[in-house]
Amino acid sequence: MMTDKIAEIRSRIESAARSIASSDDLERFRLEFLSRKGLIAALYDDLRTVAAEQKPAAGQAINQVKRLAEGTVESLTARFSQEKRSAGPSIDRTLPGRMVRRGTRHPITQTIEQMKAIFVSMGFGIEYGPEIEDDYHNFEALNFAPNHPARDMQDTFFIADDVVLRTHTTPVQVRLLERRTPPIRVIMPGRVYRNEAISARSNYFFHQVDGVYVDRHVTFAELKGTLITFARSFYGSGIKYRFRPSYFPFTEPSLEMDITCFLCSGKGCRICKHTGWLEVLGAGMVHPNVLRKSGHDPEQVSGFAFGMGVDRISLLRYGVDDIRTFFENDVRFLNQF
Amino acid sequence: MRISLNWLRRYLDVTDTPERIAEVLTSVGLEVESMERLGEALRGFVVGHVLETSKHPNADRLSVCSVRLRPDGEPVQIVCGAPNVAAGQKVPVGLPGAVVPSSLHDPSGKPFTLAVAKIRGVESNGMICSESELGIGQDKSGIMVLPEATTVGMPLAEFFGRDDVVMELGVTPNRPDCLSHLGVARDLSAYYRIPVRRPEVAGTDGGGNTAASLTSVTVKNPAACPRYTARVIQDVTVKESPEWLKRLLTAAGLRPINNIVDVTNFVMFEYGQPLHAFDMDRLSGRRIVVRSAEAGESFTTLDGRTHAMTGNELMICDAERSVALAGVMGGLNSEITPETVTVLLESAYFDPVTVRRTAKRLGISTDASYRFERGVDPNAVDEASRRAAQLIAELSGGSVVPGVVDEYPSPIAPKEITLRLARVNAMLGTELTMETVSGILTSLGHRVTHVDAGTVICASPTFRPDIEQEIDLIEEVARMYGYNNIADSTSGSVVFTEPSAAERRLSDVTGWLQANGFNESVTNSLMDAKTATLFSSSAVSVRNPLSAELETLRPALLPSLLQAVAYNHNRGARTVKFFETGSVFERVSGDAPYTFVPGYVERFRLGMVLSGFSGDLSWHEKQREFDIYDVKGTVLSLLRSIGIDNIHLIYYDASNSLNEQSIGIEIQGTYVGLMGRCSEELTGRFKIEKPVYFAEFDLGPVLSGTGPKKFKGFSKYPSVTRDVAFVVGEEVAAGDVERTIAEAGGAIVSGVTPFDLFTGKNLGTGKKSLAFSVQVTPSDRTLTEAEIDAVVAAIVSRVSSRHGAVLRQI
Ligand SMILES: [Zn+2]
Repeated sequence: MMTDKIAEIRSRIESAARSIASSDDLERFRLEFLSRKGLIAALYDDLRTVAAEQKPAAGQAINQVKRLAEGTVESLTARFSQEKRSAGPSIDRTLPGRMVRRGTRHPITQTIEQMKAIFVSMGFGIEYGPEIEDDYHNFEALNFAPNHPARDMQDTFFIADDVVLRTHTTPVQVRLLERRTPPIRVIMPGRVYRNEAISARSNYFFHQVDGVYVDRHVTFAELKGTLITFARSFYGSGIKYRFRPSYFPFTEPSLEMDITCFLCSGKGCRICKHTGWLEVLGAGMVHPNVLRKSGHDPEQVSGFAFGMGVDRISLLRYGVDDIRTFFENDVRFLNQF
Repeated sequence: MRISLNWLRRYLDVTDTPERIAEVLTSVGLEVESMERLGEALRGFVVGHVLETSKHPNADRLSVCSVRLRPDGEPVQIVCGAPNVAAGQKVPVGLPGAVVPSSLHDPSGKPFTLAVAKIRGVESNGMICSESELGIGQDKSGIMVLPEATTVGMPLAEFFGRDDVVMELGVTPNRPDCLSHLGVARDLSAYYRIPVRRPEVAGTDGGGNTAASLTSVTVKNPAACPRYTARVIQDVTVKESPEWLKRLLTAAGLRPINNIVDVTNFVMFEYGQPLHAFDMDRLSGRRIVVRSAEAGESFTTLDGRTHAMTGNELMICDAERSVALAGVMGGLNSEITPETVTVLLESAYFDPVTVRRTAKRLGISTDASYRFERGVDPNAVDEASRRAAQLIAELSGGSVVPGVVDEYPSPIAPKEITLRLARVNAMLGTELTMETVSGILTSLGHRVTHVDAGTVICASPTFRPDIEQEIDLIEEVARMYGYNNIADSTSGSVVFTEPSAAERRLSDVTGWLQANGFNESVTNSLMDAKTATLFSSSAVSVRNPLSAELETLRPALLPSLLQAVAYNHNRGARTVKFFETGSVFERVSGDAPYTFVPGYVERFRLGMVLSGFSGDLSWHEKQREFDIYDVKGTVLSLLRSIGIDNIHLIYYDASNSLNEQSIGIEIQGTYVGLMGRCSEELTGRFKIEKPVYFAEFDLGPVLSGTGPKKFKGFSKYPSVTRDVAFVVGEEVAAGDVERTIAEAGGAIVSGVTPFDLFTGKNLGTGKKSLAFSVQVTPSDRTLTEAEIDAVVAAIVSRVSSRHGAVLRQI
């Protein structure tokens, strides 16, 4: 009884399949046999009435019929859809593809990201601090005497008598030294401010990446090694460099590092003031007064600190001739990075 | 600080090339920022002797000259067009190859290079030049005729005293001792280990102290003026300085004035000690009183400017009135004039801080104040004074009155500092010997006393006020040993640094935004106070802003982002999609929680703006402008992409003057910020005509999110979807219906997605159709049709009753 019913459905499927001529016919076919209220669903319902010992065989037979119907639908769906498509405009592979527009990171942050990546690979962590800073952290704790001429170097924006817009990211170092015990090995990227007129070469805010390493037995030799490793991976392993004694109130001995001018390969040009060298960073051993002020014994720990300006380096690396271009944020500029 | 190499060579027999000397100076910490060869323009020009002249055979106005260019050389033939050329003259001659700075025959006066040439058929081997052609004067009427005694063949640069090399030194503020030629010579002598030849200064005090009987010095404020000396030079004649002095001063960048003033400047650039010459006959009482200014007192300096005093300044006075602003500038009332016959020469040590405050307050910076601020050598005050007095006498025909008035009640002694060899090597990572270390210190003028094998005591000279403790001596050793000679090491212990989760999440955020078509902007953090006030009533202002447009710290990222939007729309951008991360600032009252500095809050924020067309022009898609769904979608996709799903949105009804369509954002129950559409009032302020959609929120709670994502598992049974459509009143929010569906369906409903929204006449006025696709996922078995139908029925019933909805047949 069940077997007959299955055979009948099978032959109806076969004959119906032969007469399918359009996607509408196909949809009617699908509804008749495969829909929730279709003939095959009814067969499964009938299966419940079949004797237990015959159930497996009958179930298998119904499955086969179902696969037959599904196969028909599948193959014909493909054919009709192809016919339908060829009725529209033909494929023109010279038309633009569906592009995915990607954005850009700002060149200044790209430079910072590259610096971060190099220092992180050298075991440095990353720390941030406030842009509104008190006089103590910005100057006093960093060994700037109240009337020291070094303050000539930094014409500062004041918020209140003893509150300024930080003139460097070095105060973050002080805040770290105050609350942590060595080893401390971090870099401190961020925005800093100087009360300077805006021109093609200077701006009132710019970005710095400072670094500090304080531990037992940190030496000047290790400072040099660290800076050379950084400079080689950032500027290229072939660069030439030199170290010059310099002065910062918060480090001693202090140095500045120059690398061969990469615009003229050291021959001398306008950018390097015809010296063939470009100053790329300042550094030195953390001054004992700075360690003492933040609660560390300079006989027990020593350290080095360094800092570099991001904007000027970006200017030179990307061949931008006016620093203001960075902050206009013209999309025609940004899209080039 | 400009250093003349000729001047330097007066004290030091250094034979290296200027380039090498520059390298050495830089290596010891006196960076040579630039180098100028003064005689460069005159290279290839020599002094020639015109032996005879004859008329040019083919040109009436030209002469053919026979000119000797070396004392023993053969004369050469030169054609000359000047009317004044004559046999017997010494003249400047440009040789072939020389570049004539300015051509008389070229209207633009461009330089040209000389070559052997035939002029109207006669060979010419050079050119006899006029002042104007050499670029050293205006006269172009004829050739320049040099004094008869001039040596033939002498390079013209040497004749003009221009055979000098001037270096611009960047002297760091801790090295006032190098603001003089002798100071620079001292550092070089330590490097080369050759002695410095100091100027010969005779003691003039041999014949008793006559000076003390002619004048007196009273110092009323010794804290501001620890030392003051006065010398007297009589019977001077004020006139022009000799050539050698003018040349050196000019090379150092100073303008020669007269022999008296020039000597004081010369000695300042020689010793680093600023000096001042008073016309003694114009000093009332012929004496000096050093005292603090009277508040309100006015004083006219040499430059003719009159200043009002606050009372904190130090004044040099005579018996009645102020005659100089101590350490900064002299006064008009006592300056040297052509009639001066008696000079009172001041050489003093003023307190650096006092000079600095005065100079800064009055906005005057002079060579003198620059040196006093940084600190001169209190113990070289007298030597410089004697040196200058002798030179003045020598150059003015006057005589130095024997003796000096020297007020120096508490002499300043060298500081004694202990230096440990072990400490030097531990700091530098070197293995220097005590011999090397003490050798360096001695060569720099430190007096070294050995205590034991590893320790010395250093008496540091008073010309080095920067040296205060052991580390300062270590720096001396390091810079003289050579920074580039210290090995570099990277063998230091490797420190494990805990990778920062916040840092990683931040780069996930920025990376996601970049991948999704946003340009990152970096904008101004200062803005005008008025606009800032729109965003916060407690914005923070700068006391000394550059301009009114840059007065206030941004209380939000949006204003500067809008500036960037305006900039780009004005330049025809189709699509503007920016994001920026940065700090925003606000003031908080006294005891309110602050971020770092009491009274101020700094928040690290993410801002984004979208304006213009939503995508590039394309053939396969209709173009449209951004709308609120773009910004909402971006924010939620971004937050979900970094694993934040506890997000609650607040739909504000009211618009304000800044924004409309606003949606508040809460993360883990904390309000973080807002998104929406900028009001026209706001965009109008920035002259933007297109709508701008924005989002701005604190990154703190975003970055401090939970740790690694946890796998939650999923159902083994297939999901089924059913579509339902409702006709509801237009005021009914899709989000509310969506929530009702989820609620009514219960845990088995795994997703509700609105997929169709329309209004139409056939729906009736004030009605809209909302269609949802409901995904049903059982957790423990395959569902039967009947069970699914029951779920749908429950949903329909709840939506109908709660929202007055009518099921629409699809
Ligand atoms: Zn260059």
